[in-house]
Amino acid sequence: MNENVTENKSIKERIDGLVKSFGLPRLIIAGFLLLLYILAPIVGADLPTQLTNTINRFSWNAIMVLAMVPMVHSGCGLNFGLPLGIISGLLGATLSIELGFTGGFSFVMAMLIATPFALVLGSVYGWLLNRIKGGEMMIATYVGFSSVSFMCMMWLLLPYDSPNMVWGLAGKGLRTTISLEGYYNQALARILHIRLGNFEIPTGALLFFALFAFGMWAFLHTKTGTAMTAVGSNPVFAKASGINVDKMRLLSVVMSTWLAAIGILVYEQGFGFIQLYMAPFYMALPAVSAILIGGASVNKASIANVIIGTFLFQGIVTMTPTVMNNMVHMDMSEVVRIIASQGMILYALTRKTEGGK
Amino acid sequence: MSVNKQKTAVNAAELIRNNSVPIMFIIICAVCIPLAGFSPSYLFNEIITRIGRNTFLILSLLIPVMAGMGLNFGMTLGAMAGEIGLILVCDWQIVGIPAMILAVIISLPIAVGLGLFCGRILNMARGREMITSYIMSFFINGIYQLVVLYMMGSIIPIKHSNIKLPRGYGIRNTVSLLRMRQKLDKLIPLKLFGADIPVMTFIIIAILCFFIIWFRKTKLGQDMRAVGQDMEVAKDSGINVERTRIISIVISTILADIGMVIYLQNMGNIATYSSHSQIGMFCIAALLVGGASVDRASIGNVFLGVTLFHMMFIVAPAAGARITGDSMIGEYFRVFVSYAVITIALVMYETKKRRARSRVGEQLKLEQGTGEEAA
Amino acid sequence: MSSGKKTIIIRMCLVLLLLVIAVICFITGRGHTVYFDNKAVDFSGETYPAVYKIEVKVNGEKAAKLYEDERGMADTMGQSFSMVVEMTKEKGDEPTAHAVSLSLPYSMDGIILNIPAMMAGLPPEAYLSEFVQAPEPEAEESEEVVTDEFVMEDL
Repeated sequence: MNENVTENKSIKERIDGLVKSFGLPRLIIAGFLLLLYILAPIVGADLPTQLTNTINRFSWNAIMVLAMVPMVHSGCGLNFGLPLGIISGLLGATLSIELGFTGGFSFVMAMLIATPFALVLGSVYGWLLNRIKGGEMMIATYVGFSSVSFMCMMWLLLPYDSPNMVWGLAGKGLRTTISLEGYYNQALARILHIRLGNFEIPTGALLFFALFAFGMWAFLHTKTGTAMTAVGSNPVFAKASGINVDKMRLLSVVMSTWLAAIGILVYEQGFGFIQLYMAPFYMALPAVSAILIGGASVNKASIANVIIGTFLFQGIVTMTPTVMNNMVHMDMSEVVRIIASQGMILYALTRKTEGGK
Repeated sequence: MSVNKQKTAVNAAELIRNNSVPIMFIIICAVCIPLAGFSPSYLFNEIITRIGRNTFLILSLLIPVMAGMGLNFGMTLGAMAGEIGLILVCDWQIVGIPAMILAVIISLPIAVGLGLFCGRILNMARGREMITSYIMSFFINGIYQLVVLYMMGSIIPIKHSNIKLPRGYGIRNTVSLLRMRQKLDKLIPLKLFGADIPVMTFIIIAILCFFIIWFRKTKLGQDMRAVGQDMEVAKDSGINVERTRIISIVISTILADIGMVIYLQNMGNIATYSSHSQIGMFCIAALLVGGASVDRASIGNVFLGVTLFHMMFIVAPAAGARITGDSMIGEYFRVFVSYAVITIALVMYETKKRRARSRVGEQLKLEQGTGEEAA
Repeated sequence: MSSGKKTIIIRMCLVLLLLVIAVICFITGRGHTVYFDNKAVDFSGETYPAVYKIEVKVNGEKAAKLYEDERGMADTMGQSFSMVVEMTKEKGDEPTAHAVSLSLPYSMDGIILNIPAMMAGLPPEAYLSEFVQAPEPEAEESEEVVTDEFVMEDL
């Protein structure tokens, strides 16, 4: 009997511990997704198709979520300024097409062209964030907004003239969506693509992500990487031990911006379209909430958080509409997505940050 | 002597730096107005309309700034409450001024509830109030959609088919407020230089201004300023910091609620799912254009801001179309300027704060002879 | 007694005051659309014919000018409704003016008043009926709800 009591207690403690370490909202979201997967076959949705959708969307978005990691590590908080990196990616994409590259090669060229933009914009952005330590997240948000609205004008004014991209009638000004058919549509997903009935795996895209994830993991274990983490967890101590805090932060911002640029290109190759103008406006928010759902906090993030988070977030995005529609004939997925993702960000912002500031 | 001279030079530089945003805007307006080519009477009319429409909403931002909580992006919450009130009133076929009053009264408990919730959350996110209140506006927008798009008509009774979606529940994209339209503005009719002056709206705005001036002098107002200056000191002197901060947000939310009703009676229809989404952003931009900063905002800033910002908003599209031959450029330009202004104002505030902090740090260093505190 | 109690009482009074104002608004702010008909009416076996011309003034403003078989309308607020009816029986007759006040039923959004019946002194059930909106065409397309945040509003 006595033993029984202690065992019960230990189980309860273990659950408590799990809730504490994992966070209640995260558990709710994971439980909700699990419920969706159980319900899906019952309400008549095809599970393999659903899984394929989730994996596809995972492969599109994962790198943009990965872009959150460096800045979180260096103590710059969540990168709400992701649209700036996305802009670099869009410049790469449109210039690659404008210069006449086609097929899979246009993807490589887009990445190459996007890189200098990302490095320059990232440096300026990083320099700015170094001047306003402590207020990064709000300013990052508005840097993102300003750059997107600035580029809205540029997309109209820049002298693009590829007939596949400009408005047909006016002959100038880029279209809001540009099809990638004939360019790098599915460029990565097609590599080693696996199909088992209704179940498909975009192997190439997943491998591409794995490459970056491994690179990030390896980087964080180099001397520079550990120094970056040190800056984030205790800037005073880092400074005392001879690390150039501002340089580390700048590096993390540039990395994040560049990853965002690559991330949007990967997203486009999966989605099949380039979306310009206001489309990048709120793209930071899904990436931010994804990494938070995965278990990251404002000042702690790992590669595992990225993978788990992207899977959970995209799982909810793909599963809710189908299950909801089949169950209650009400498409409440949009509302569910907003409440879950914004709720998650709110939760993370209200947690006390350990160490550091 | 020379010290004095230096001081005045520094002061002048400081003055320009502190007012760089309004100065920039005056220049933008000065360039755009002749390019746009509107007649003075048209401009005057438009500006008066917009001042009447927006000022109340912008004034709702002042009290949280006073309490040191920064720019309250959560004012959107109050706007949503006001919209819910108006939708219900519209379905009950209440019209005119009584409809506005009734809409405010029904939405009051919603606004208070949302304000309390928002205040609580912001207390948990100290030092990050702005980004948190910003995300809060998105979160509550999700709840708002849940209520308006799914619960109205199914759980909350909605009778009239002109505001209900054909599917039987949810509210249409636009709800017409035709029989409430400009009823407040035109309650006391007055025409000046060919423009309709919304006398009653101005009177209400004036009352709110006096309320804010009076409020600053009350015990609560003093407490709020103390909390805004230094939370620790305020706490030591026996002020309930958390409660004071929550109250400031609740007041702001209620004012935004009333402001939204005034705003929409002028517009004459509700864009159910988008009227509120940009309101916080534009109000904050207008306040900053008036020379306010994150920790300091006055009634004067509000009026200067609303005038300059909306002047830019009126003339930019026309001027942009004139220069580039594309009307969209001007549209994007004014959006860009709104965001850029907020960005610049935030950056200036943070750098100033940092400079002040490092000055304090240096002082400490001098006093204590150690560098330990200079973090 | 204690200041706490006093505050509670003051707050209760304030809430009560708001409720009272709300009720007043609810009653006085009720909007109706009043339709005026100049049509023949059958009531208890008798026919009351339409007249040549009717002019309706509400709040001193001309709201409608009706020839035979015509309908006009006016928006009103509150339950008490007063108007001035100028009736011309036959072409060339002198118009006769009557001031009419009546109380509108709260539950009806749209109310039809048959002026000839009313002028003949018939009871309300003869001249007052509810205006029912014609059912909307079945083919009404389901409205796409736009919850997009990017809609640029004019301020």
